Amino acid sequence: MPNEPRTPAEPTLEELSAFLDNELDSATQARVADHVAGCDECRARLDGLRETAHAIRALPMETPPRRFTIPEQRRQGWRWAPAGWIGSAALALLLIAVGIQNLHLPAGPTATTGSSSTNSGGLAFAPATRSEKGALAPLSAPSPSTQQFDAQSAGAAANAGTVLDPSNSSRRLVLDTDRTSYATTGRMLVTVQLIDSPSTSLQSADQGLTLTLVRNGQGVALRPVGVESVNGTPIFGGWYDLASFPLSAPRAGDYRLEATWLIPDGSGRVLQTSVPVRIAG
Amino acid sequence: MVASNNSNDDRDLVGRARRGDREAFTQLIVQYQVPLYNMALRMVGRPDDAADIAQEAFLRAWEKIRTLREAPFKSWLFQIAANLCYDHFRRGRRYGVMPNEETSNVVGLGIATPDPQERAEANERTRLVRDSIAALDHDMRMAIVLRDVNGMAYDEIAAVLGVPLGTVKSRIARARAQVQEHLQRHPDFFPTREDAHAE
Repeated sequence: MPNEPRTPAEPTLEELSAFLDNELDSATQARVADHVAGCDECRARLDGLRETAHAIRALPMETPPRRFTIPEQRRQGWRWAPAGWIGSAALALLLIAVGIQNLHLPAGPTATTGSSSTNSGGLAFAPATRSEKGALAPLSAPSPSTQQFDAQSAGAAANAGTVLDPSNSSRRLVLDTDRTSYATTGRMLVTVQLIDSPSTSLQSADQGLTLTLVRNGQGVALRPVGVESVNGTPIFGGWYDLASFPLSAPRAGDYRLEATWLIPDGSGRVLQTSVPVRIAG
Repeated sequence: MVASNNSNDDRDLVGRARRGDREAFTQLIVQYQVPLYNMALRMVGRPDDAADIAQEAFLRAWEKIRTLREAPFKSWLFQIAANLCYDHFRRGRRYGVMPNEETSNVVGLGIATPDPQERAEANERTRLVRDSIAALDHDMRMAIVLRDVNGMAYDEIAAVLGVPLGTVKSRIARARAQVQEHLQRHPDFFPTREDAHAE
Protein backbone atom coordinates (compact mmCIF):
# COMPACT_ATOMS: atom_id res chain seq x y z
CA MET A 1 0.00 0.00 0.00
CA PRO A 2 1.53 3.28 -1.03
CA ASN A 3 2.44 5.50 1.79
CA GLU A 4 0.63 8.66 0.81
CA PRO A 5 2.30 11.71 2.22
CA ARG A 6 -0.07 13.63 4.44
CA THR A 7 0.38 17.28 4.78
CA PRO A 8 2.12 17.90 8.08
CA ALA A 9 -0.50 20.41 9.00
CA GLU A 10 -3.35 17.92 8.81
CA PRO A 11 -4.93 17.78 12.26
CA THR A 12 -5.39 14.56 14.15
CA LEU A 13 -8.74 13.47 15.58
CA GLU A 14 -7.59 14.66 19.02
CA GLU A 15 -6.65 18.04 17.63
CA LEU A 16 -9.96 18.50 15.81
CA SER A 17 -11.89 17.56 18.93
CA ALA A 18 -9.82 19.83 21.17
CA PHE A 19 -10.10 22.59 18.55
CA LEU A 20 -13.87 22.53 19.04
CA ASP A 21 -13.34 23.07 22.74
CA ASN A 22 -10.75 25.80 22.28
CA GLU A 23 -8.37 23.63 24.25
CA LEU A 24 -5.33 23.82 21.98
CA ASP A 25 -2.43 26.16 22.45
CA SER A 26 -2.78 29.23 20.28
CA ALA A 27 -0.28 28.12 17.63
CA THR A 28 -1.98 24.74 17.16
CA GLN A 29 -5.41 26.34 17.25
CA ALA A 30 -4.38 28.65 14.42
CA ARG A 31 -2.80 25.81 12.44
CA VAL A 32 -5.94 23.69 12.68
CA ALA A 33 -8.11 26.65 11.73
CA ASP A 34 -5.97 27.35 8.68
CA HIS A 35 -6.03 23.76 7.59
CA VAL A 36 -9.75 23.29 8.06
CA ALA A 37 -10.49 26.44 6.10
CA GLY A 38 -8.91 24.88 3.02
CA CYS A 39 -9.74 21.20 3.46
CA ASP A 40 -13.25 19.94 2.79
CA GLU A 41 -12.54 16.54 4.31
CA CYS A 42 -11.31 17.91 7.62
CA ARG A 43 -14.11 20.45 7.70
CA ALA A 44 -16.61 17.60 7.32
CA ARG A 45 -14.88 15.67 10.14
CA LEU A 46 -14.96 18.76 12.32
CA ASP A 47 -18.65 19.35 11.55
CA GLY A 48 -19.41 15.77 12.48
CA LEU A 49 -17.64 16.10 15.82
CA ARG A 50 -19.35 19.41 16.47
CA GLU A 51 -22.80 18.01 15.76
CA THR A 52 -22.05 15.05 18.02
CA ALA A 53 -20.99 17.31 20.85
CA HIS A 54 -24.13 19.41 20.34
CA ALA A 55 -26.30 16.29 20.45
CA ILE A 56 -24.81 15.29 23.79
CA ARG A 57 -25.06 18.81 25.18
CA ALA A 58 -28.73 18.86 24.17
CA LEU A 59 -29.52 16.05 26.62
CA PRO A 60 -31.92 17.47 29.19
CA MET A 61 -30.52 18.22 32.63
CA GLU A 62 -32.59 15.98 34.86
CA THR A 63 -33.89 17.03 38.24
CA PRO A 64 -32.65 14.82 41.09
CA PRO A 65 -35.46 12.57 42.33
CA ARG A 66 -34.78 13.49 45.96
CA ARG A 67 -33.07 16.08 48.03
CA PHE A 68 -29.48 15.72 49.09
CA THR A 69 -28.73 16.57 52.68
CA ILE A 70 -26.05 16.08 55.28
CA PRO A 71 -26.40 14.70 58.78
CA GLU A 72 -26.56 16.90 61.85
CA GLN A 73 -23.07 15.78 62.82
CA ARG A 74 -20.19 14.54 60.76
CA ARG A 75 -19.49 10.83 60.76
CA GLN A 76 -16.25 10.45 62.62
CA GLY A 77 -13.24 9.64 60.46
CA TRP A 78 -10.67 7.02 61.44
CA ARG A 79 -8.04 9.74 61.75
CA TRP A 80 -9.60 10.46 65.15
CA ALA A 81 -9.72 6.82 66.04
CA PRO A 82 -8.61 7.10 69.68
CA ALA A 83 -11.28 9.66 70.45
CA GLY A 84 -13.75 7.62 68.43
CA TRP A 85 -12.94 4.49 70.40
CA ILE A 86 -13.42 6.31 73.67
CA GLY A 87 -16.71 7.71 72.42
CA SER A 88 -17.84 4.33 71.14
CA ALA A 89 -16.94 2.64 74.40
CA ALA A 90 -18.84 5.26 76.35
CA LEU A 91 -21.83 4.89 74.05
CA ALA A 92 -21.70 1.10 74.40
CA LEU A 93 -21.73 1.38 78.16
CA LEU A 94 -24.60 3.82 77.95
CA LEU A 95 -26.55 1.47 75.70
CA ILE A 96 -26.04 -1.38 78.11
CA ALA A 97 -27.02 0.79 81.03
CA VAL A 98 -30.26 2.20 79.73
CA GLY A 99 -31.33 -0.44 77.24
CA ILE A 100 -31.40 0.00 73.49
CA GLN A 101 -35.15 -0.17 73.27
CA ASN A 102 -35.55 2.99 75.28
CA LEU A 103 -33.19 5.06 73.17
CA HIS A 104 -34.44 7.31 70.42
CA LEU A 105 -31.52 7.40 68.06
CA PRO A 106 -31.69 10.11 65.45
CA ALA A 107 -32.99 8.89 62.12
CA GLY A 108 -30.64 9.05 59.20
CA PRO A 109 -27.03 8.40 58.48
CA THR A 110 -25.54 9.61 61.76
CA ALA A 111 -26.65 6.32 63.24
CA THR A 112 -24.97 4.29 60.53
CA THR A 113 -21.50 3.62 59.35
CA GLY A 114 -22.27 4.54 55.86
CA SER A 115 -23.32 2.17 53.12
CA SER A 116 -24.85 4.16 50.37
CA SER A 117 -28.15 2.34 50.57
CA THR A 118 -28.53 3.11 54.25
CA ASN A 119 -27.56 6.70 53.75
CA SER A 120 -29.95 7.23 50.94
CA GLY A 121 -32.62 5.40 52.86
CA GLY A 122 -32.13 7.71 55.78
CA LEU A 123 -32.35 10.66 53.52
CA ALA A 124 -35.33 9.49 51.59
CA PHE A 125 -37.23 11.79 49.36
CA ALA A 126 -39.52 13.94 51.46
CA PRO A 127 -41.75 15.84 49.09
CA ALA A 128 -42.91 19.30 49.84
CA THR A 129 -42.05 19.54 53.50
CA ARG A 130 -40.23 22.48 54.97
CA SER A 131 -37.05 21.29 56.55
CA GLU A 132 -34.06 23.24 57.73
CA LYS A 133 -31.90 20.26 56.93
CA GLY A 134 -33.33 19.69 53.52
CA ALA A 135 -34.07 23.21 52.44
CA LEU A 136 -33.32 23.48 48.76
CA ALA A 137 -32.60 27.17 48.86
CA PRO A 138 -30.45 28.18 51.84
CA LEU A 139 -30.85 31.47 53.59
CA SER A 140 -28.15 33.03 51.48
CA ALA A 141 -29.74 32.06 48.13
CA PRO A 142 -30.60 35.11 46.05
CA SER A 143 -33.93 36.48 47.18
CA PRO A 144 -36.20 38.84 45.29
CA SER A 145 -37.64 42.17 46.22
CA THR A 146 -41.42 41.94 46.08
CA GLN A 147 -42.24 45.58 46.62
CA GLN A 148 -44.67 46.92 44.02
CA PHE A 149 -44.99 43.42 42.58
CA ASP A 150 -48.15 43.31 40.51
CA ALA A 151 -49.36 39.74 40.56
CA GLN A 152 -52.39 40.67 38.48
CA SER A 153 -50.17 41.26 35.48
CA ALA A 154 -48.30 38.01 35.97
CA GLY A 155 -47.93 36.02 32.79
CA ALA A 156 -48.05 39.02 30.52
CA ALA A 157 -44.33 38.99 29.81
CA ALA A 158 -43.00 37.98 26.41
CA ASN A 159 -40.30 35.66 27.78
CA ALA A 160 -42.55 32.93 29.08
CA GLY A 161 -42.55 29.19 29.39
CA THR A 162 -45.61 27.10 30.09
CA VAL A 163 -46.07 23.41 30.69
CA LEU A 164 -49.31 21.49 31.08
CA ASP A 165 -49.85 18.59 33.43
CA PRO A 166 -50.66 15.70 31.05
CA SER A 167 -52.91 14.13 33.65
CA ASN A 168 -54.78 17.31 34.53
CA SER A 169 -55.45 19.64 31.64
CA SER A 170 -56.30 22.57 33.89
CA ARG A 171 -53.00 22.41 35.79
CA ARG A 172 -50.13 24.49 34.44
CA LEU A 173 -46.77 25.79 35.50
CA VAL A 174 -46.08 29.21 34.00
CA LEU A 175 -42.71 30.93 34.30
CA ASP A 176 -41.90 34.31 32.86
CA THR A 177 -39.42 37.12 33.09
CA ASP A 178 -39.90 40.75 32.08
CA ARG A 179 -37.10 40.59 29.52
CA THR A 180 -34.75 38.11 27.90
CA SER A 181 -31.56 40.14 28.33
CA TYR A 182 -30.18 41.95 31.35
CA ALA A 183 -27.10 43.88 32.35
CA THR A 184 -24.87 42.16 34.90
CA THR A 185 -26.12 44.67 37.46
CA GLY A 186 -29.72 44.56 36.24
CA ARG A 187 -32.88 43.45 38.00
CA MET A 188 -34.83 40.52 36.66
CA LEU A 189 -38.56 40.35 37.27
CA VAL A 190 -39.61 36.73 37.63
CA THR A 191 -43.14 35.41 37.95
CA VAL A 192 -44.17 31.83 38.56
CA GLN A 193 -47.81 30.77 38.49
CA LEU A 194 -48.85 27.40 39.87
CA ILE A 195 -52.22 27.12 38.20
CA ASP A 196 -54.59 24.60 39.76
CA SER A 197 -52.10 23.66 42.43
CA PRO A 198 -53.44 21.15 44.98
CA SER A 199 -52.10 23.50 47.66
CA THR A 200 -52.80 27.15 48.31
CA SER A 201 -49.62 27.63 50.32
CA LEU A 202 -47.32 30.50 49.38
CA GLN A 203 -44.31 28.68 50.83
CA SER A 204 -42.09 27.38 48.04
CA ALA A 205 -41.15 24.31 50.11
CA ASP A 206 -44.83 23.43 50.60
CA GLN A 207 -45.41 23.79 46.87
CA GLY A 208 -42.26 21.87 45.93
CA LEU A 209 -41.14 24.80 43.79
CA THR A 210 -37.51 25.49 42.93
CA LEU A 211 -35.97 28.10 40.67
CA THR A 212 -32.51 27.71 39.22
CA LEU A 213 -30.43 29.82 36.88
CA VAL A 214 -28.33 27.36 34.89
CA ARG A 215 -25.34 27.63 32.57
CA ASN A 216 -23.02 24.85 31.44
CA GLY A 217 -24.68 22.44 33.80
CA GLN A 218 -23.97 24.62 36.83
CA GLY A 219 -26.84 26.25 38.62
CA VAL A 220 -27.56 28.95 41.12
CA ALA A 221 -30.67 28.34 43.18
CA LEU A 222 -32.95 31.34 43.58
CA ARG A 223 -35.30 31.69 46.50
CA PRO A 224 -38.88 31.69 45.21
CA VAL A 225 -41.02 33.99 47.34
CA GLY A 226 -44.78 33.60 47.42
CA VAL A 227 -46.50 36.87 46.70
CA GLU A 228 -50.20 36.27 46.67
CA SER A 229 -52.98 34.01 45.51
CA VAL A 230 -54.99 35.20 42.53
CA ASN A 231 -58.24 33.27 42.16
CA GLY A 232 -56.69 30.42 44.08
CA THR A 233 -53.50 30.37 41.99
CA PRO A 234 -50.35 30.75 44.07
CA ILE A 235 -48.06 33.36 42.52
CA PHE A 236 -44.36 33.51 43.30
CA GLY A 237 -42.03 36.18 42.11
CA GLY A 238 -40.28 39.49 42.49
CA TRP A 239 -37.26 41.41 41.31
CA TYR A 240 -33.94 39.60 41.62
CA ASP A 241 -30.82 41.72 41.75
CA LEU A 242 -28.46 39.96 39.34
CA ALA A 243 -25.39 41.57 40.90
CA SER A 244 -26.07 39.58 44.07
CA PHE A 245 -26.01 36.20 42.29
CA PRO A 246 -22.99 33.99 43.03
CA LEU A 247 -22.28 33.44 39.34
CA SER A 248 -18.96 32.14 38.08
CA ALA A 249 -16.84 34.43 35.96
CA PRO A 250 -17.42 35.51 33.30
CA ARG A 251 -20.86 36.49 34.56
CA ALA A 252 -22.05 37.47 31.11
CA GLY A 253 -23.47 34.70 28.99
CA ASP A 254 -26.52 32.71 28.02
CA TYR A 255 -28.37 31.04 30.87
CA ARG A 256 -31.65 29.24 31.35
CA LEU A 257 -33.97 30.03 34.21
CA GLU A 258 -35.61 26.77 35.22
CA ALA A 259 -38.69 26.33 37.35
CA THR A 260 -39.30 22.86 38.75
CA TRP A 261 -42.58 22.03 40.45
CA LEU A 262 -42.91 18.84 42.41
CA ILE A 263 -46.69 18.73 42.39
CA PRO A 264 -47.69 18.62 46.07
CA ASP A 265 -50.19 15.79 45.74
CA GLY A 266 -47.91 12.98 46.88
CA SER A 267 -47.58 11.56 43.37
CA GLY A 268 -43.92 12.53 42.98
CA ARG A 269 -44.67 13.95 39.56
CA VAL A 270 -42.79 16.99 38.35
CA LEU A 271 -43.55 19.80 35.93
CA GLN A 272 -40.58 21.69 34.62
CA THR A 273 -40.23 24.67 32.34
CA SER A 274 -37.52 27.13 31.49
CA VAL A 275 -36.88 30.39 29.68
CA PRO A 276 -33.67 31.75 28.17
CA VAL A 277 -31.94 34.55 30.02
CA ARG A 278 -28.98 36.46 28.63
CA ILE A 279 -26.73 38.43 30.92
CA ALA A 280 -24.86 40.94 28.85
CA GLY A 281 -21.43 42.17 29.81
CA MET B 1 -14.05 28.53 27.98
CA VAL B 2 -15.52 27.22 31.17
CA ALA B 3 -15.52 29.51 34.13
CA SER B 4 -13.07 29.03 36.93
CA ASN B 5 -14.03 26.19 39.22
CA ASN B 6 -12.52 27.77 42.27
CA SER B 7 -14.50 30.93 42.55
CA ASN B 8 -14.29 33.22 45.50
CA ASP B 9 -17.80 32.12 46.38
CA ASP B 10 -16.73 28.48 46.58
CA ARG B 11 -13.68 29.39 48.64
CA ASP B 12 -15.79 31.34 51.09
CA LEU B 13 -18.37 28.56 51.40
CA VAL B 14 -15.70 25.88 51.67
CA GLY B 15 -13.91 27.87 54.35
CA ARG B 16 -17.11 28.16 56.36
CA ALA B 17 -17.99 24.50 55.81
CA ARG B 18 -14.54 23.46 57.04
CA ARG B 19 -15.39 25.24 60.27
CA GLY B 20 -18.56 23.17 60.53
CA ASP B 21 -21.03 25.60 58.98
CA ARG B 22 -23.80 23.33 57.69
CA GLU B 23 -25.61 26.14 55.92
CA ALA B 24 -22.52 26.91 53.88
CA PHE B 25 -22.23 23.27 52.88
CA THR B 26 -25.95 23.16 52.07
CA GLN B 27 -25.36 26.03 49.68
CA LEU B 28 -22.61 24.03 48.03
CA ILE B 29 -25.06 21.15 47.69
CA VAL B 30 -27.61 23.45 46.07
CA GLN B 31 -24.96 24.74 43.70
CA TYR B 32 -23.68 21.35 42.60
CA GLN B 33 -26.56 18.92 43.08
CA VAL B 34 -27.91 19.14 39.53
CA PRO B 35 -24.58 18.83 37.66
CA LEU B 36 -23.32 16.14 40.03
CA TYR B 37 -26.52 14.12 39.80
CA ASN B 38 -26.55 14.42 36.01
CA MET B 39 -22.92 13.31 35.78
CA ALA B 40 -23.76 10.22 37.82
CA LEU B 41 -26.96 9.66 35.84
CA ARG B 42 -25.17 9.68 32.49
CA MET B 43 -22.57 7.33 33.93
CA VAL B 44 -24.76 4.72 35.61
CA GLY B 45 -28.11 5.16 33.86
CA ARG B 46 -30.58 4.57 36.67
CA PRO B 47 -31.91 7.64 38.49
CA ASP B 48 -31.95 5.86 41.86
CA ASP B 49 -28.34 4.72 41.51
CA ALA B 50 -27.30 8.19 40.40
CA ALA B 51 -29.07 9.79 43.36
CA ASP B 52 -27.37 7.32 45.74
CA ILE B 53 -23.99 8.22 44.27
CA ALA B 54 -24.62 11.96 44.49
CA GLN B 55 -25.86 11.65 48.06
CA GLU B 56 -22.86 9.60 49.11
CA ALA B 57 -20.51 12.02 47.39
CA PHE B 58 -21.97 14.94 49.32
CA LEU B 59 -21.77 12.97 52.58
CA ARG B 60 -18.13 12.04 52.03
CA ALA B 61 -17.29 15.60 51.03
CA TRP B 62 -18.92 16.88 54.21
CA GLU B 63 -16.97 14.38 56.30
CA LYS B 64 -13.65 15.10 54.65
CA ILE B 65 -13.91 18.78 53.90
CA ARG B 66 -11.46 19.59 56.66
CA THR B 67 -8.81 17.80 54.61
CA LEU B 68 -9.44 19.97 51.53
CA ARG B 69 -6.63 22.49 51.20
CA GLU B 70 -5.79 24.06 47.86
CA ALA B 71 -7.72 21.84 45.46
CA PRO B 72 -10.83 23.41 43.93
CA PHE B 73 -13.96 22.14 45.65
CA LYS B 74 -15.72 21.34 42.39
CA SER B 75 -12.94 19.10 41.05
CA TRP B 76 -12.61 17.43 44.44
CA LEU B 77 -16.35 16.77 44.73
CA PHE B 78 -16.58 15.39 41.22
CA GLN B 79 -13.53 13.22 41.88
CA ILE B 80 -15.35 11.67 44.83
CA ALA B 81 -18.42 11.05 42.68
CA ALA B 82 -16.34 9.69 39.80
CA ASN B 83 -14.69 7.20 42.14
CA LEU B 84 -18.12 6.16 43.40
CA CYS B 85 -19.23 5.58 39.81
CA TYR B 86 -16.19 3.36 39.23
CA ASP B 87 -16.96 1.53 42.51
CA HIS B 88 -20.50 1.03 41.23
CA PHE B 89 -19.19 -0.79 38.17
CA ARG B 90 -16.53 -2.69 40.15
CA ARG B 91 -19.33 -4.12 42.27
CA GLY B 92 -20.69 -5.62 39.09
CA ARG B 93 -23.49 -3.15 38.61
CA ARG B 94 -24.19 -2.48 34.98
CA TYR B 95 -25.48 0.54 33.21
CA GLY B 96 -29.13 0.71 34.17
CA VAL B 97 -32.03 1.38 31.93
CA MET B 98 -32.88 5.02 31.95
CA PRO B 99 -36.62 5.57 31.92
CA ASN B 100 -38.03 7.25 28.86
CA GLU B 101 -38.95 10.89 29.19
CA GLU B 102 -42.64 9.98 29.30
CA THR B 103 -42.19 7.62 32.20
CA SER B 104 -39.70 9.56 34.31
CA ASN B 105 -40.97 11.75 37.12
CA VAL B 106 -40.63 14.80 34.92
CA VAL B 107 -44.09 14.63 33.43
CA GLY B 108 -43.87 17.83 31.50
CA LEU B 109 -41.09 19.92 30.05
CA GLY B 110 -41.95 23.47 29.07
CA ILE B 111 -39.22 23.51 26.50
CA ALA B 112 -40.71 20.50 24.77
CA THR B 113 -42.61 21.10 21.61
CA PRO B 114 -46.38 20.72 21.89
CA ASP B 115 -46.49 18.77 18.62
CA PRO B 116 -46.72 15.08 19.62
CA GLN B 117 -44.90 13.95 16.48
CA GLU B 118 -41.98 16.32 17.05
CA ARG B 119 -41.94 15.48 20.72
CA ALA B 120 -41.76 11.77 19.96
CA GLU B 121 -38.87 12.40 17.59
CA ALA B 122 -37.07 14.53 20.19
CA ASN B 123 -37.51 11.74 22.73
CA GLU B 124 -36.11 9.21 20.28
CA ARG B 125 -33.10 11.42 19.56
CA THR B 126 -32.51 11.72 23.32
CA ARG B 127 -32.72 7.95 23.72
CA LEU B 128 -30.27 7.33 20.90
CA VAL B 129 -27.75 9.77 22.35
CA ARG B 130 -28.08 8.19 25.80
CA ASP B 131 -27.59 4.74 24.30
CA SER B 132 -24.53 5.85 22.38
CA ILE B 133 -22.96 7.21 25.58
CA ALA B 134 -23.87 4.03 27.44
CA ALA B 135 -22.05 2.00 24.79
CA LEU B 136 -18.73 3.69 25.56
CA ASP B 137 -16.23 2.14 27.95
CA HIS B 138 -16.19 3.69 31.41
CA ASP B 139 -13.13 5.88 30.90
CA MET B 140 -14.32 7.40 27.65
CA ARG B 141 -17.84 7.80 29.02
CA MET B 142 -16.59 9.63 32.07
CA ALA B 143 -14.44 11.98 30.00
CA ILE B 144 -17.18 12.92 27.56
CA VAL B 145 -19.79 13.29 30.30
CA LEU B 146 -17.56 15.66 32.25
CA ARG B 147 -16.89 17.63 29.07
CA ASP B 148 -20.19 17.69 27.19
CA VAL B 149 -22.72 17.19 29.97
CA ASN B 150 -20.93 19.11 32.73
CA GLY B 151 -19.05 21.57 30.55
CA MET B 152 -15.74 21.12 32.34
CA ALA B 153 -12.45 22.36 30.92
CA TYR B 154 -9.83 19.76 30.07
CA ASP B 155 -7.60 20.69 33.01
CA GLU B 156 -10.55 20.29 35.38
CA ILE B 157 -11.29 16.86 33.92
CA ALA B 158 -7.64 15.89 34.29
CA ALA B 159 -7.80 16.93 37.95
CA VAL B 160 -11.02 14.98 38.53
CA LEU B 161 -9.71 11.82 36.90
CA GLY B 162 -6.09 12.13 37.97
CA VAL B 163 -4.80 11.59 34.43
CA PRO B 164 -2.60 13.68 32.12
CA LEU B 165 -4.13 16.32 29.88
CA GLY B 166 -3.22 14.32 26.79
CA THR B 167 -5.21 11.37 28.06
CA VAL B 168 -8.24 13.59 28.57
CA LYS B 169 -7.90 14.95 25.06
CA SER B 170 -7.61 11.46 23.60
CA ARG B 171 -10.53 10.00 25.55
CA ILE B 172 -12.84 12.86 24.60
CA ALA B 173 -11.90 12.66 20.93
CA ARG B 174 -12.31 8.90 20.72
CA ALA B 175 -15.58 9.06 22.64
CA ARG B 176 -16.98 11.67 20.29
CA ALA B 177 -15.93 9.64 17.28
CA GLN B 178 -17.64 6.52 18.65
CA VAL B 179 -20.80 8.40 19.56
CA GLN B 180 -20.84 9.95 16.10
CA GLU B 181 -20.49 6.55 14.50
CA HIS B 182 -23.33 5.23 16.64
CA LEU B 183 -25.61 8.13 15.79
CA GLN B 184 -24.90 7.93 12.08
CA ARG B 185 -26.54 4.52 12.06
CA HIS B 186 -29.78 6.45 12.52
CA PRO B 187 -29.83 8.92 9.63
CA ASP B 188 -33.53 9.56 10.10
CA PHE B 189 -32.72 11.29 13.35
CA PHE B 190 -29.13 12.36 12.77
CA PRO B 191 -28.69 13.07 9.06
CA THR B 192 -25.16 13.72 7.94
CA ARG B 193 -24.42 16.63 5.62
CA GLU B 194 -24.15 14.15 2.76
CA ASP B 195 -27.64 12.89 3.60
CA ALA B 196 -28.95 16.41 3.65
CA HIS B 197 -27.37 17.21 0.28
CA ALA B 198 -28.74 14.01 -1.22
CA GLU B 199 -32.31 14.96 -0.41
